Amino acid sequence: MNVSGPKIYYTIPILGGIPITETIVNMWILMAVIVGICLFLTRGLKERPVKKRQVVAELIVSKLYGLVEDTMGERNTGYAPFIGTLMTISAVGSLSSLVGMRPITADLSVTLAWGLVIFLIVQTVSIKTTGILAYLKSFFQPVALLFPLNIISTISTPVSMAFRHFGNIASGLVISKLVYSALASLSAAVLSFIPNDFISSIPIFQVGIPAVLSIYFDLFSSGLQAYIFCMLSMVYIANANEP
Amino acid sequence: MEEFLSFVTIDVWEIIFTWINLLILFLLMKKILFKPVKAILDKREKDVGSLYSDAEKASAEADRLRSEYSEKLSSAKEEADEIVRSATRKAQLTEEEILRDAHGKADRIIERAEENIELEKQNAINEVKSEISDMAVTLASAIIKKEVSEDEHREMIDNFIDSVDNGKEQAEGRKKS
Amino acid sequence: MERAIVLAASAIGAGLAMIAGLGPGIGEGIAVSKALEAIGRQPECKGTVTSTMLLGCAVAESTGIYSLVIALILIYANPLVNLL
Repeated sequence: MNVSGPKIYYTIPILGGIPITETIVNMWILMAVIVGICLFLTRGLKERPVKKRQVVAELIVSKLYGLVEDTMGERNTGYAPFIGTLMTISAVGSLSSLVGMRPITADLSVTLAWGLVIFLIVQTVSIKTTGILAYLKSFFQPVALLFPLNIISTISTPVSMAFRHFGNIASGLVISKLVYSALASLSAAVLSFIPNDFISSIPIFQVGIPAVLSIYFDLFSSGLQAYIFCMLSMVYIANANEP
Repeated sequence: MEEFLSFVTIDVWEIIFTWINLLILFLLMKKILFKPVKAILDKREKDVGSLYSDAEKASAEADRLRSEYSEKLSSAKEEADEIVRSATRKAQLTEEEILRDAHGKADRIIERAEENIELEKQNAINEVKSEISDMAVTLASAIIKKEVSEDEHREMIDNFIDSVDNGKEQAEGRKKS
Repeated sequence: MERAIVLAASAIGAGLAMIAGLGPGIGEGIAVSKALEAIGRQPECKGTVTSTMLLGCAVAESTGIYSLVIALILIYANPLVNLL
């Protein structure tokens, strides 16, 4: 059994080699799918909805705006499209393991990139609302001695978000790989009495049993982690935007 | 030989790609999904708000009209009541007047009739008295064939008639009591 | 020989790191029991309590996840071997 990182499909031979990995390619595929679904849902929008898909699109958008308004307050609803995008790509990226793709969120680079985006937004908003001096001063609160701790806690925010999301999805990946290989050796052991090599190599136990695990690790955990990632982002941004 | 990144790794190029992808996806989704749908939702909300305010206005108008009508209706009813009441009062007055007149007239008629009756009775009595006395004189003179002095005779008869009268009056008084 | 020692120590370290799974387990158990009490007291708040509990559980899980990441690093991307 081998648990490895994303496969490198191709390395662009400039700047010391830019690897095009499985994660990046999967992300492009998922982006195409998401944009396609959005195009499908919003085709022929009318003020009086006549099609079901418009109702679905309106439901999604109004729920998202409601969630953002509930969590961040009314004046921060401008962040709703960004939060919605993040939640969509995160949830779809984790759920893509259902169709056998390597989930993009099982790659630390991806979640760290998202965490850094949130970090940058939070710091920018915080500087904008309080001013640069007050922002710098806030690192020496309540006493100047705590400066290193404040720095660490500020930096640990994106890192912990990235690790949390990555760890959950990656642990699901590792466990389902372990279960798959265990079931493969089990079925090989059970079927070893059959002399035909081809039949005895069919991993019959891999059918059905992993689906139970998949319900937790793929469906539940994916949705929950996407929700939590966006929830924490919203809370951090809303805190930074407090006047 | 396929190459793999290590399972836990931070690759700068992947991070940059992720940022670019996130930005592209954000712009696309905002343009395709969020903006138009939000615009439609806002527009509908505004429309519904104006619809509601229109409906409220209309219902207020209807309320006003209804109260006006009911006011008018009640005043009309009052008027009708007033008319009926005054008519009834007038009718009662007239009725009473008529009754009073009728009573008065009847009383007068009865009075006059009684007077007449009394008069007639008196006449009749007087007539009967004189006739009886005449008859008695003739009868007595015929029966006893004896000349009785006129004066004695008349006195005797008057006494008799008086006694008859008295007896009659006594009988009437008994009957009355 | 040194490499073998480092690898063995890494494996033991990864196993030890997963002891941190205790904390989130206990913490989430307490959180869930409190949430159940809350739901029992006020069944009409079930949705809010459940979603808040899930959020809290996921946040409380982070320490366990950190230890998992450490264990994964020690097993699959061991930085110590390269130091030899």
